Amino acid sequence: MRKLTLAAATLALGGAFAPGAFAAEYTIGVSNTVQGNGWREQMICAMRAQALVEPDVSRLIVAHRNTDSAGQLEDLNNLIAAGVDAIVLNPSNPDALNSAINDAIAKGIVVVAVDAGVSAEGAYILSNNQEEYAYLGAKWLFEKLGGSGDVVYMRGIAGVSADTDRDNGFKRALAEFPGINVAHEVFTGWQQDQGKQQIFDFLATGIPFDGVWTSGIDNVIVDAFVESGAPLVPIVGADNAGFVQYLTTVDGFEGAAVTNPGSVGGAGVALAVDILNGNAPNATTVLVDPVLWENATAEGRAVIESAQNPNLDPEWPVSVTIPGWTDYSMEQVIACEGPDA
Amino acid sequence: MTGFIQRNAWTLGLLVLFLILLGTTKSMQPDFGVSGLESLARAALPFAFATAGMAVVVIVGGIDLSVASMMAVCSVTAAVLMPSVGGVAGVLVVLALGAAMGAINGGLIVVTKVPDIVVTLAMLFVWEGFALLILSTPGGRVADWLQASTQGSAIFSGLPKALVVIAFISAAIWIPIQRSKLGLSIYATGSDESAAFRSGVPVGRTRVAAYSICGLFCAFGGLSLASLTGIGEPVPGPYLMASVAAVVLGGVVLGGGRGGLLGPIIAVFVLRIIRTILTFAGVDPNVTTIIEGTVMVGVVMLATIVTYQGART
Repeated sequence: MRKLTLAAATLALGGAFAPGAFAAEYTIGVSNTVQGNGWREQMICAMRAQALVEPDVSRLIVAHRNTDSAGQLEDLNNLIAAGVDAIVLNPSNPDALNSAINDAIAKGIVVVAVDAGVSAEGAYILSNNQEEYAYLGAKWLFEKLGGSGDVVYMRGIAGVSADTDRDNGFKRALAEFPGINVAHEVFTGWQQDQGKQQIFDFLATGIPFDGVWTSGIDNVIVDAFVESGAPLVPIVGADNAGFVQYLTTVDGFEGAAVTNPGSVGGAGVALAVDILNGNAPNATTVLVDPVLWENATAEGRAVIESAQNPNLDPEWPVSVTIPGWTDYSMEQVIACEGPDA
Repeated sequence: MTGFIQRNAWTLGLLVLFLILLGTTKSMQPDFGVSGLESLARAALPFAFATAGMAVVVIVGGIDLSVASMMAVCSVTAAVLMPSVGGVAGVLVVLALGAAMGAINGGLIVVTKVPDIVVTLAMLFVWEGFALLILSTPGGRVADWLQASTQGSAIFSGLPKALVVIAFISAAIWIPIQRSKLGLSIYATGSDESAAFRSGVPVGRTRVAAYSICGLFCAFGGLSLASLTGIGEPVPGPYLMASVAAVVLGGVVLGGGRGGLLGPIIAVFVLRIIRTILTFAGVDPNVTTIIEGTVMVGVVMLATIVTYQGART
């Protein structure tokens, strides 16, 4: 009995002194409104994995469902009422959530929007640099073509900010290569079937072209070339698992994948912890720069080989970590377990 | 007194359940107070109006699958109109639009004699298309007073404005109707359409009126969405299934003729606070919906058993 009392006292003392003395005990709330999409699921898993490895985070509350802006407001208000120290959200709309975000900021809660921006003042925004994404891929393609030739420009959805940013990056690269000419410009709507039909239609016209830049609708474009028997031209896509696999397996195919990681979610958690610990960045908007993986050189191929993992969900982007931001391992993000699990 | 309790057993039971859940919330998060109640009432706002509208058409013996789409049409119309015509005119136009959409739903059902579920399923897509035509991407802007009308407390601190809005609007619409001939016709048509017809109830007109009232409630639902977010969103939110669930949980018999609006509206609060509790508990989001559904079925089953037991003795 005495032993037990002693043990209890030691435990109590340990309990009183251990936390706080070494690490803060932050609770972080997550809000997301699209469930069942590979990119978003990777984002959530990256948030969980990053929270797991952050020594200062003791709890992660995830509100992750398919809903509208009013539903996201409800989730944000619940997270505020749950007493979180920071909220990392993928906003459904830049303007619709301001009432809850302003409430949170007024209560001293750190708010980090990932993937898309919010207009509320005082919120931090962390997203992939979409202009750089397009510039990097377009520049590689134009160099590959020796600075002259005709390209097909396959965009996303007109009016969506990511598409507008990417268009700016593409145009910047185009300005640097006066010998490059856009032979055909289409909006794929970020739909696989639509993009495939569009390239079939263009191949059928017989108008010659030398390369294709896509805004992420990529593996079906390779399929279209293979199925129609047309000679493959260099193609630029995103780091979707299917396209990255083609870069290593399709004979005679030269191309490049530009990373657009869903793991910005993990970077958002890392940023929130930095801000809570008093290391806020100078600007409220932080952009994560993409990386280009090409299969034209031996080094490039080696990078692609090392990035692939058979355990990775085929719907996920292949780049599961962001150097300089995320600290978890690939196994941890695949396990998708947060500090509470 | 005993008669009152017996007649309203289901509603009172739900109220007790809500208070227990509120106590649970408070015990999980001692800080839960005025702002928590305000958030809860704000979250309940669009669901409450969708549910009130659904309850009316279920009482008349029908169902309206287009409630969420009508709400989307109303929210984008408000957000597009208000910058040019002003807040008050915008609200009036939206209310008229809601009632008109409901009347069209009801009229099609009565004239074509196609079942409610088929007509309103088709109208779900029609109204959704109209919402996208009015505003293809989320945007627009609503009057500041409309946004302020659901924020904070009214009369005294701790009485959320959003709750006052729900109570006032549903009472102002439903109580006069319930006590009028139209109310009697709605319940009669829902109980037994042919008996009502033989007793001289104009069943066709009654149905159109009930669907129009549903449309009016959806207009308030759309306005509350616009009030919460400050913008209009053309893609319908998750209000259809949630409203059917709250109607059933609220003691309205699917099939018609029985129930009121108070039970379903309390049921909305029960369902919202369950989500709050699950958020506080940090339950895996993939498990959350399973728990929500299980609680709902459990409560309805329990309530049905208790009610039947009560009826037998």
